[in-house]
Amino acid sequence: MSWTRVLVLWLVVGLTVGRLGPAVWAEEITDDLATVARTGPGGRGSVAARKATDRLARNGLELLPRLLEAMDTDNIVAANWYRTVYEQITRRELARDPVPDFPVSLLKTYVTNPKRHGRVRRLVLDLVERLEPGTTDSLIPGLMADPEFRDDAVAAALARGDRARKAGRTREASGEYRKAFQAARNSGQIGTAADRLKAVGQEVSVVTHMGFVTNWFLLGPFDAPGTTGFELVLPPEKQVKTAVDLAATYAGKGGGRIKWGRHQSGDRFGQSNLNAAIAAVKEAVGYAYTEVISPRKQSVQIRCGADDNITIWLNGKQVLRRLQWLNGTRLDRFRASVTLKKGRNRMLVKVCQGPQHKNPAVPNNWSLQLRFCDAAGGGVGVTSGLPEIARKNAAVSRESGR
Amino acid sequence: MRNTSMKRSWNGMVGRALVLAATIVAVTCEESCAENWPGWRGPDRNGVSRDTGVPLNWSADANVAWKTPLPGSGISNPIIFDDKVFVTASDGKNLANLHVICLARDTGRIRWHQRLWGTAPTRFHGNKSSMASPSPVTDGRHVWAFFGTGDVFCLESNSGQLAWHRSLSGEYGVIENRFATSSSPLLYRDTILLQVDHYGDSYLVALDRKTGSNRWKVDRPGRWLSWSSPQLIRLKGGRHEFIVCGSQRVESFDPGTGRALWTAGEMRRECIPTPLFINGRLYVVSGPSGPSMRIRPGGSGDVTKTHVEWKNPRGSPFVPSAIVVGKRYYLVTDSGIATCLDTETGKQVWQKRFGGGFTASPVAAGDRIYWVNESGVTLVIRGGGDRYEELARNAIGESVFASPAISQDRFFLRTTRHLVCLKGAPGTSP
Repeated sequence: MSWTRVLVLWLVVGLTVGRLGPAVWAEEITDDLATVARTGPGGRGSVAARKATDRLARNGLELLPRLLEAMDTDNIVAANWYRTVYEQITRRELARDPVPDFPVSLLKTYVTNPKRHGRVRRLVLDLVERLEPGTTDSLIPGLMADPEFRDDAVAAALARGDRARKAGRTREASGEYRKAFQAARNSGQIGTAADRLKAVGQEVSVVTHMGFVTNWFLLGPFDAPGTTGFELVLPPEKQVKTAVDLAATYAGKGGGRIKWGRHQSGDRFGQSNLNAAIAAVKEAVGYAYTEVISPRKQSVQIRCGADDNITIWLNGKQVLRRLQWLNGTRLDRFRASVTLKKGRNRMLVKVCQGPQHKNPAVPNNWSLQLRFCDAAGGGVGVTSGLPEIARKNAAVSRESGR
Repeated sequence: MRNTSMKRSWNGMVGRALVLAATIVAVTCEESCAENWPGWRGPDRNGVSRDTGVPLNWSADANVAWKTPLPGSGISNPIIFDDKVFVTASDGKNLANLHVICLARDTGRIRWHQRLWGTAPTRFHGNKSSMASPSPVTDGRHVWAFFGTGDVFCLESNSGQLAWHRSLSGEYGVIENRFATSSSPLLYRDTILLQVDHYGDSYLVALDRKTGSNRWKVDRPGRWLSWSSPQLIRLKGGRHEFIVCGSQRVESFDPGTGRALWTAGEMRRECIPTPLFINGRLYVVSGPSGPSMRIRPGGSGDVTKTHVEWKNPRGSPFVPSAIVVGKRYYLVTDSGIATCLDTETGKQVWQKRFGGGFTASPVAAGDRIYWVNESGVTLVIRGGGDRYEELARNAIGESVFASPAISQDRFFLRTTRHLVCLKGAPGTSP
């Protein structure tokens, strides 16, 4: 066969395929997108995904809607494969002169849809910003409750407040700070907004906003040589299914009698220093007990941190148990989904204290931090149910008109 | 006459052959003598380059071959292979936007820039750290980049195209530590080896270079966080060992199977510096108040009492790794106190205040050691001798936290804003 004939044959085949193109093309795209979706743990599907993304990247802007749909996935591996296609197509199209018409309206709808995956919405916003500069500034203030852009919106409100305050418009500044505080779920921004509000004469409670539990009965120290404390089952744990006996006394570490004592954390983020509140000891176990009032039956998160490790029983049932020595108390380190019943809920917490670090300069912290919140990290209206504190809360509520 | 003509012709041929041979030798030498810097701390993972024409002096304006702005932040060292430089960075919300960038070695032009998402930023990391602390590694055909988000990417070095992606934090849990993960991967045969020590469940893992799948994984229950990069050593008999510093001990594993070989104690709980392997001996350090130790590798079980040849607590850093030049072992503390120990005895030779804070690890070429402080001042000293000898102090005018790289007689400095390539002044040689 001569080269001319081969060429003619190729042209015929090419034209035929070109005529059949859209259907074949659509099917191929569907297959390729599905191939990428199958990538996952262990490097699974990489070889096929590489070929599929090569083919997908040959498409133009017409692929964007389907690509954005595909990128909206919890599968981070697949999302990254799709992103490589997105980057190639958008880069190529943006480099054209003139730049072709991107589906800006569709892109904006995608950005403002809170049900879409945040990382993709942010990526698309960057593209829209390139196409229509100023879009970010115009969209962000309206996204105060948005799961992805909340922090940006809060930062913008704080900045507006700062500008107003600098210009002497204190009332306007106060309004912006309050909006920021109410919307904020990030501890840094919550603290900043609270500070700004204080600077314009308004006090707010970070503890209430974030749902920290600060009122406790504490018991300890029980003796727990080495790192045995986590597995030791001491009297309060034996009572947890019925009622913890707050009037009982026990043999404590060192031979003395120990009993439950009231404690209220004064820390802005609700942390309790057990070295100060119970005793500065090593190789011990302490317990914290509280009762909280929930305004309704609700599914919430317990978020907590403890040094050294923590076990939690809620209404007699163990809901969290984490073994970790010398780890430091870190905000929201551990999480558990729980259901609070309407009214009074009883909670027992066990926190161990380990041996001294090999390096005597390393402080042997013993601490606890715990809160009830929703999935976004906001307080859920839980108040203390411990008698004397409850009365105090009621008084505070009356004074503030809540 | 004929003889003379033949002789001339013969001489001419010989002369041309010699010139040709000399040219071949020169080209070959230029290629073989001009080293790549394919991963963390260079070709032998000890900070030392065999290059001979590395610049001694520079400033923000002088001897700058090129300077290219980088996105985001990162303290991974740039890596260089042939005509390409690779660097990683992270930015965006929670620093989870990841970048792998390839630049042209000669011009600094960006050849490709791959943007990817990280699974989950290291939990509890400080504000100053980035997800791009581990240095990438390359064999020239592919680049493997590990990030504090727990993601490992394999990219084709010519195009930047993704070859595979592993989300280790998605599969084994989010990495938790207070400075963000910084352990750099290494290549062993057809695998890439990683050390993932953190507050949560620590592990070592070997990934298949081509597919990313696990070859082996060793869980390390009870191991505390560390930032140390592992080391690969080859003993005289040909046996390879995978050396890991962390949680009060140095441990050795079979890099092919993950089987534990030996362990030595006395390390601090949190380890950052990378162990060195020089002339058949391991040099390890963990600080700030832990000791430097010289260990004879190759044992089995607990070798603390049998294989630790010397131990010296003087001058131990928390962050920067050490370096060996000649018979001298050098350290600098994070606050800038430098110490020189004798490699044979571990005894102190000298101690000197360098000035400035140090995060970057030193590098060396020939007998010169380059120390870059956080203000971007590179102190060059002569190494290997009995006394302190300062050769140069070069200010780049920007902060530097990343360790530098040396390749093909160029010195690569990653500042907080740029990647800078420095060259020797014309007509100068060491």
